[in-house]
Amino acid sequence: MTTTIGDARIRVPDRIVRGDIISVNSIISHPMDTGFFRTAEGEPIPAYFIKDVVVTYGGKEVARFEWTSGVSRDPVVRFTLKADQEAPLAMVWTDNRGGVFRRSINIAFA
Amino acid sequence: MPGSTPCSRRDFLRVGGLAAAGIAGVGVMVRSGRLLALPVPALGDPEVPNEIVAGILKNLFGDRPIRKGNISLDMPLVAEDGRVVPVFIESHLPMTAEQYVKAVHLIVDFNPDPHLAAYHLTPALGSVEIQTRIKMKRTTWVRAILETNTGDVWADYARVNVSLNGCG
Repeated sequence: MTTTIGDARIRVPDRIVRGDIISVNSIISHPMDTGFFRTAEGEPIPAYFIKDVVVTYGGKEVARFEWTSGVSRDPVVRFTLKADQEAPLAMVWTDNRGGVFRRSINIAFA
Repeated sequence: MPGSTPCSRRDFLRVGGLAAAGIAGVGVMVRSGRLLALPVPALGDPEVPNEIVAGILKNLFGDRPIRKGNISLDMPLVAEDGRVVPVFIESHLPMTAEQYVKAVHLIVDFNPDPHLAAYHLTPALGSVEIQTRIKMKRTTWVRAILETNTGDVWADYARVNVSLNGCG
């Protein structure tokens, strides 16, 4: 695959009206290695996964997810958000090796 | 007062239930040959399979009852590829400043790390709808358990048949 670890995308509906409860889709490119697999040469593949996701809206934390390597490769998560202000929606993913990946989009009303 | 009779029907049922729970508890001890204090599930709920899951539930919810309801967990009956199994969790409980769902826990009984994910939520989300994809090692019960800001605990369960081990 050509995607880089940490490439992330957040998607919200095109048209949002103030007060809507919108669906937020997110995906990040990450191997989510469990530490239980080996390479074809028999070398163990160490655990490498996203352990923490923080969601902020207008600078305020609205959700936080704790993950393990049990979440599938290239983790997706969909959740809802009450769109009550025109403000940035940001997500920060942190992996078990200290990698920090950020993505932010702007919530604007139609 | 009608409610203060020495042995109401309700008391009788409660005592009967405790006795049944005691018998079931003895069953667990005898079967495993050791002294286990596994909680006895309510009728229709999946049995707690081992100390690991029992410990997770105890840590998260203490002695609070885990009742079925107010949350739904949708998963496929059969997962052909255990590496990618879709999960959909939904609850119609309110998400207001006074009353909200503060966390949803996803527990996969027979995975190497059963407490797979915890979702900490706030009223700003407006509703409880979480969708993701997880790995599963083998056929097992999956538990989605939510906790409200007032301390109530609600659960739903799904049994998923896994054809291909997704955990290595």
